[in-house]
Amino acid sequence: MKRLSIIVLMVITLVSLSAAGKSESENVATSAFSWIEGTEVEGLPGVNPLKVSGNIITAGSSTVYPLSERMAERFKEEGYSGVITIDSIGSGAGFERFTVSGETDISNASRGIKASEIEDAKEIGRNPIEFRVGTDALAVVVSKENTFIKNATMEELGKIFSTATLWSDVNPSYPDEPIQRFIPGTDSGTFDYFAEEVFSKNPEPMLAASHLQLSEDDNILVQGIKGSPYAIGYFGYAYYNENADSLNILNINGIEASKANVDNNSYPLARPLFLYSDAEIMKSKPQVAAFLDFYLSYVNEEVVGVGYFPANEDELNKARQAWLDATQGAY
Amino acid sequence: MTQRSITHPFGKKRRLHERVIETILFLFALFSIMITVGIAVILIRESFLFFSTPEVTLVGFFTGKTWQPMIDMFGFLPLLNATITTSVIAMLFAIPLGLFVAIYLAEYATDKVRGRLKPILEVLAGIPTIVYGYFALTFMTPLLRSIFGQETVEIYNTASAGLVIGILVLPMIATMAEDAISAVPKELRLAGLALGGTPIETTFRVVIPAALSGLSATFLLALSRAIGETMIVALAAGAGPNMTFNPFEAAETITGYIVRISGGDVSYNSVDYNSIFALGLVLFIITFTLNLISRKVSSLFYQEYE
Repeated sequence: MKRLSIIVLMVITLVSLSAAGKSESENVATSAFSWIEGTEVEGLPGVNPLKVSGNIITAGSSTVYPLSERMAERFKEEGYSGVITIDSIGSGAGFERFTVSGETDISNASRGIKASEIEDAKEIGRNPIEFRVGTDALAVVVSKENTFIKNATMEELGKIFSTATLWSDVNPSYPDEPIQRFIPGTDSGTFDYFAEEVFSKNPEPMLAASHLQLSEDDNILVQGIKGSPYAIGYFGYAYYNENADSLNILNINGIEASKANVDNNSYPLARPLFLYSDAEIMKSKPQVAAFLDFYLSYVNEEVVGVGYFPANEDELNKARQAWLDATQGAY
Repeated sequence: MTQRSITHPFGKKRRLHERVIETILFLFALFSIMITVGIAVILIRESFLFFSTPEVTLVGFFTGKTWQPMIDMFGFLPLLNATITTSVIAMLFAIPLGLFVAIYLAEYATDKVRGRLKPILEVLAGIPTIVYGYFALTFMTPLLRSIFGQETVEIYNTASAGLVIGILVLPMIATMAEDAISAVPKELRLAGLALGGTPIETTFRVVIPAALSGLSATFLLALSRAIGETMIVALAAGAGPNMTFNPFEAAETITGYIVRISGGDVSYNSVDYNSIFALGLVLFIITFTLNLISRKVSSLFYQEYE
């Protein structure tokens, strides 16, 4: 009996200890935006990463991942002392963590947030704010060893990724070999986007296809596509860019995925890349606001190096304005 | 717990601190049992959620040939098929090889050689399975492709994963089988030799049959290890369910699917997410049953030697 009461006591102490730890971190978080320093960049207050501490939790799109990773690295190089986690788990799963369980501060996405996801967020008291950070030209790629396909129309893409079993089913001049498909997982923004553009929002034919490999890890897709001349797949342009020596990118409807064609909107598979956060989070966790400020200030210097295309300047300015509106009165 | 027969030399009762230690040790034992029970309870509860989804039927689950929860196809045979394929390949590779290694170590190797070989085997057992996964992808697959041709062997395939799982369980089979063989009393060997048997005859006709109980238990344990192996198949076997008997084609195993989905592919509240608990339960039942059979087998064939 005595021992039992000791155990109960220990449990109570542990629980109260952890509760105390929590409230302490909240206190630190409500301090002011002391990191604002120097001249304004692109209309946003200057950031001194040296004065930013505290952790930032982000998750979401594997397409946005390389860009966020680059921005986070630069943020750290310039003095940020906290820990920033970036989970590459797909846009949908990212939103899940942001809007349902509320685990993350920033959600990376390669598609716009859905109305149902906004509903979920409101239920936990979050109002998602959208920040456009760049543009991706979704790349449909084959192995360098593939010599027969250089271009695909949207209609052909529809066949290649669904009903066609053999390459010759798509075009009689192609070989009589099975098509091996490597596509992003079903919770990926890239998957959703492709279903929307090529299959008018219905992913079923794509999932019912034979020889289908799905993965949220784009490197697994890259490996698979490299592995056979009869393999094909699609993912964010950055992953093509990184593996350009072993992969060929297809022209879509005869249009090449280039900066010019993305800028003038002629490349059919160009799509926006987003970050999402919430005004309350930005105010209570100044490090999140600082990182977003930093991101929106310098993203254009990094985006091309990562393998994407800068967003339209109007869109970027809209994102910067959204940042200013969200943090109004906080500093 | 039975009463201890040893009495204290001075006839005193057992001292207090001994009883405290005993209780603490008992609590630790209880704790590990509670964890197992907890895991089983969660698996069963969450799988119930999955099976109570209107689109899912038990019959469909166990007989369907397509697994694609996103479009309401819930037949888990392709996953099971891939798991069986990789495990069988692993066993075909590891059982003969492991048995020969064990026979050599127990019957033929000198103490010096054994002293060198065993640590090497143990190093093999200490390699993290993710390393084995990359080994499968970057060594075994290219090897298979160079032997059987790029056209026949896909980059992700169950043969490569199966062979590497075989390498993974090899040290386990070798060391446990060696224990089983060494446990056979020396008199049996001497009797075999005295009756005019050559060393090989003695080994295969006398010693191995005598060690059968331990050996079968070893093989079953290794099989359940192979079925549960995750990292190797996640990396090398493929990332899409595929009903095929061709070991050179990509096919996703039960564990491979679970790791892909729980790694973030799918939202928490979806049927896909609940399905991994049902699959986990099936996996748990399979390995649990194998372990039970292995215990049963070892007691069934067990013979007392005087």
